[in-house]
Amino acid sequence: MSGQLSADIVVIGSGIVGSLAARRLALRGASVLILEAGPRLDRGRVVAAFRNSPFKGSWMAPYPPSPWAPHPIYVPRDNGYLKQAGPYPYPAEYIRAVGGTTWHWAAQAWRLVPNDVRIKSLYGVGVDWPLSYEELDPWYQEAEELIGVAGADDTGSPRKQPFPMEPVAEPWSMRRFRERLAPAYPVVANTVARNSRSYGGRPACVGNNSCQPICPVNAQYTGETAVAAAEASGVRLVPNAVVYRIEHDAKGRIAAVHYFDPDKGSHRVTGKTFILAANGIESPKLLLLSASDKYPNGLANSSGMVGRNLMDHPSTSLTFYADEELWLGRGPQSPSSINTLRDGAFRSRHAPYRLDFTNISQVLNVTNDLIKEGVYGAEFEKQLRWRAARQVNVKNVLEVLPDPDNRITLSSEKDAMGIPKPEAHYSIGEYTRRGADVSRADFARIAELMGGTGLRYSADGQFANNQHITGTMSMGNAPSSSVVDAFGRTHDHENLFICSTGVMPTAATMNSTLTAIALALRTAGHILPQQTTTQTDLADDRREARLS
Amino acid sequence: MAMNEHEDVVANRDAPVDASRRRILAGLLTAYTASLVPWALALPAPQADRGAFTALSAILVGQQVLDAAQTARLYDALVADDARFPADVQALLAFVNQRQVDPLQLQNVLDAEHSPLASLPRKIATAWYLGVVGSGETARCVAYETALDAVAVADVLKPPTYAYGSYGSWANKPV
Amino acid sequence: MKGAAGRLIPLFALVCALACTCASTAMATDGSNAERVQRGKYLATAGDCVACHTAPGGKPFAGGLPLPTPIGDIIATNITPSKTAGIGNYTERQFSDALRRGIRADGRHLYPAMPYTAYAQITDADMQALYAYFMHGVAPVDSKPAPTRLPFPFNLRWSMAAWNMLFLDSKPFTPDPGKSAAWNRGAYLVRGLAHCSTCHTPRNLLMAEQPSRELAGGDVGTWHAPNITPDADSGIGNWSEAELVAYIKLGHATGRAQAAGPMAEAVDNSLQYLTAADLQAIATYLKTIPAQHDPADTRAVDDWGSASDELDSLRGVALPVDPDKMTGAQLYDAYCASCHQARGQGSFDGGLPPLFHNTATGRTNTNNLVMVILDGIRWTDRSGVHMPGFANHLDDRQIATLAAYLIRHYGNPAAKVSVEQVRQLRAGGAPSHLVALVRWAMAIVLLVILAIVILSVRRMRRRSSGQA
Repeated sequence: MSGQLSADIVVIGSGIVGSLAARRLALRGASVLILEAGPRLDRGRVVAAFRNSPFKGSWMAPYPPSPWAPHPIYVPRDNGYLKQAGPYPYPAEYIRAVGGTTWHWAAQAWRLVPNDVRIKSLYGVGVDWPLSYEELDPWYQEAEELIGVAGADDTGSPRKQPFPMEPVAEPWSMRRFRERLAPAYPVVANTVARNSRSYGGRPACVGNNSCQPICPVNAQYTGETAVAAAEASGVRLVPNAVVYRIEHDAKGRIAAVHYFDPDKGSHRVTGKTFILAANGIESPKLLLLSASDKYPNGLANSSGMVGRNLMDHPSTSLTFYADEELWLGRGPQSPSSINTLRDGAFRSRHAPYRLDFTNISQVLNVTNDLIKEGVYGAEFEKQLRWRAARQVNVKNVLEVLPDPDNRITLSSEKDAMGIPKPEAHYSIGEYTRRGADVSRADFARIAELMGGTGLRYSADGQFANNQHITGTMSMGNAPSSSVVDAFGRTHDHENLFICSTGVMPTAATMNSTLTAIALALRTAGHILPQQTTTQTDLADDRREARLS
Repeated sequence: MAMNEHEDVVANRDAPVDASRRRILAGLLTAYTASLVPWALALPAPQADRGAFTALSAILVGQQVLDAAQTARLYDALVADDARFPADVQALLAFVNQRQVDPLQLQNVLDAEHSPLASLPRKIATAWYLGVVGSGETARCVAYETALDAVAVADVLKPPTYAYGSYGSWANKPV
Repeated sequence: MKGAAGRLIPLFALVCALACTCASTAMATDGSNAERVQRGKYLATAGDCVACHTAPGGKPFAGGLPLPTPIGDIIATNITPSKTAGIGNYTERQFSDALRRGIRADGRHLYPAMPYTAYAQITDADMQALYAYFMHGVAPVDSKPAPTRLPFPFNLRWSMAAWNMLFLDSKPFTPDPGKSAAWNRGAYLVRGLAHCSTCHTPRNLLMAEQPSRELAGGDVGTWHAPNITPDADSGIGNWSEAELVAYIKLGHATGRAQAAGPMAEAVDNSLQYLTAADLQAIATYLKTIPAQHDPADTRAVDDWGSASDELDSLRGVALPVDPDKMTGAQLYDAYCASCHQARGQGSFDGGLPPLFHNTATGRTNTNNLVMVILDGIRWTDRSGVHMPGFANHLDDRQIATLAAYLIRHYGNPAAKVSVEQVRQLRAGGAPSHLVALVRWAMAIVLLVILAIVILSVRRMRRRSSGQA
């Protein structure tokens, strides 16, 4: 059925970034429509699906892909949606559903440090951002109050106003790390979008230890809440709408988008302004798909940079047994980290990194190990308890420099809707590998301070993926080398904006979501600048979030 | 912590065991395996197959209280996944009997000899400890909260997705 | 107000107000007045004035909250010392009359939604402290809330005079010399400021509390205020005084009950701030009132159920696509077990409570069970008490199915929840027929009077014509 849908502002993608941008615009009086490729989800059903899953170690298991809006899954086997051209795999995981990928994140909501946006000027690597940390600061604050961020002071990111919430209560395991690693390594509470008290109508954390793949009690902010907030502000959302083409007019202004419904019926949606917020892989894919006679390389791509400079935060790690019982698994999954290695003169030589401690229960890992080792009989339970009580892990979160050869392109293979699949070309550069090498000394020292035995380093040259898809639609001042300007407006199309982690031109060392939200709010503010008393509705807005 | 209130295998120790069952089990269990499973002869064994699975499970997971309903569910799921399962179980039990293999050495011995039964202990351990039967596309989770990996640590941890307690209760040292 | 009286009374009020202002300015320099204001603040907290007289998100005591009653919404007034919109012009006598006799400064009657029948117990000294607090301890707010408009005949406030004659006992509390100081203090608080009977005592057809059934249980809109007499099965008979104190102060008695709905608000706004001595006094008193037994309760309402699960029916079984076809066990797994645990046993520390041996599932009146599933429980302070509500996640059929599962495993098997019951509670309660009933009653009375008059007139005419 096609009734002609239309709105002032059409947003493609209902993840946390797109939804919060949409909400801000609706509050300013615009009519806003979100088109989401995937279906609506129900939190309770996701919880039940996880408990019934035979692959508890796969966080995508409770999120089966829809046939009309597939996303990559790798367990029990690679579904072949995200093609890997190599040389190094980029096994991204994301969720195409209403609310997007933050259904299953660890809610790490960090700011950059000021130098992160100037690494070219300061250290001669990467690129500079077209804006400063100071310009981002008020947008960070707004984002933190909207979603409810709990954090500790003094983690390298200056702020003018306090966090909306106190840091989340520290689990015993993390306290022991903090006590035993001091003063060599200061361990601090992570800055997280997780409630340390009732906030935004949602309860405080009660330690379900399943943040990934799902917070059963909604204590951490997710795209689902962002969507609810957007819809409460008057945003209209159409699920199961797979946008496959962005249509432009003769002047290069975007006129409409076209989407398939699950039965492959095609619909055309018109609008005045368009925001692409379909994550760092699906968004460049759509831009490339929308190639036309006038734009043979795809939309917004006069620079040739759409899809290029693909980045993530690769990780290597060390697993070991501490010499005391710590019992990971009590409390949230990602409570603490070491933040003193994120910046410094060394950045001209090797990648900076954060050191992250997991609090994920080790029972599953240990059980798998014991079965693999063939430990049967009464010894099994003894070993299980001993290891699960002591096994810990520290990993690095490394910066990757933008490299135009690392990119997302269109594969020649098509999905069930006849849409070309995305293809990842990726490699880990020397800058990052040198950072990983340096971090091994930190791993070893940490293990030593914890009386570690049974040290198991991750395999040399193997890096885990952290799902922070950045760089593919980089922002910059020069249209010849960037896709969007400092406000997220594409250089080539006046009424097409991009809100995504994909606009970040460098990756820094911190999880990218909060920065993407801050940028998106800034973009929304630029699209519709406030005409009335500036601070009033904003303050009411944030007070409402805090009070409920 | 709360024990399962389901019917326990051990609890039937006092129930009268008829002679035919005893004979079936005696055939399956030698003195050696019976020594690993002291209550073996009191096992209710409606069929030789189920009895063999019960005994072999008890050996592989250590001397635990094996919930009768759980045993039956896992057995049914394992058979549904692979029709050869009952025969394999009997064969492995016989193997353990004859060779008097210690559970901790069993996998090494099977692997070294390239035994066709090499994958069987892992299958049974995976069913009991992880509650998972089958692999790949046909894998199924038939137990989570009652899987033995959760039960083994239930005094300290809740299985993921279950709340540990009111906010901040995880700050204390685990007892 | 019409005529000379209409002109004199406002003038008189003005003079009084001026006098009072002068007096209170004079008193402000008196150190003991600050003490009186503080005491008044404590008493106002105990009386929970803020709960009704503050709208959600509104300024304290500025009114505007609509109180739903079977006869329509009664809108709480502004009781800040605003001279234009509140009680800023009230003399102490007028304040006392409103508080303890249900009569406003303009002489009109208050509806007993304002629990003046309870506050009638308040002593003169306490009333004066409250007056001092409301005049000097509360910030004036100059916005007037909407007036109350009830349907005929309930808009006739003078009818309250008759009602008061029947049901208002206007004597302040006098201690019983045969009882302990703690008992007397408890009786004073329970019957007076804490006005427990306003919710917990059943009412008669004319909506007056039934004094012979003190605290035997009542209904507050969609919530049921349960029996809190010392009956061992139906009430709190097997609770220790320490458990009662804990419940009133913390909002839960471990292993027995949690406050939800309006009771959670009462604890949150008021009761948690009472002194230890006052809490103990309340517990002491409650244990002595006459026990009221409901024959439907064959054992203590917090003694039902045990740890159990239907995990075998869940694991390895896919959820149905149609949410209405989810079994009770599947609903419990998806929406409840994360906090209350797979066997209903609650968290290690009991902070997320077990569902068996819990009045939430053990009562035969199942309204509160449905309501807490719909609304959850959330305190406004930082206590951390926060159960989410599921009104937006579960439809009526799902809630009925889930409630049946909860009752079957953890509650009194005789209790029932129907889909229609859930639908009505979600909508705010079954519609009341009280307005229609009273109008019919009035119509019938009028007809009867008319009939008597007509018959009498006819008889008189016949007699006179007979005599002609």
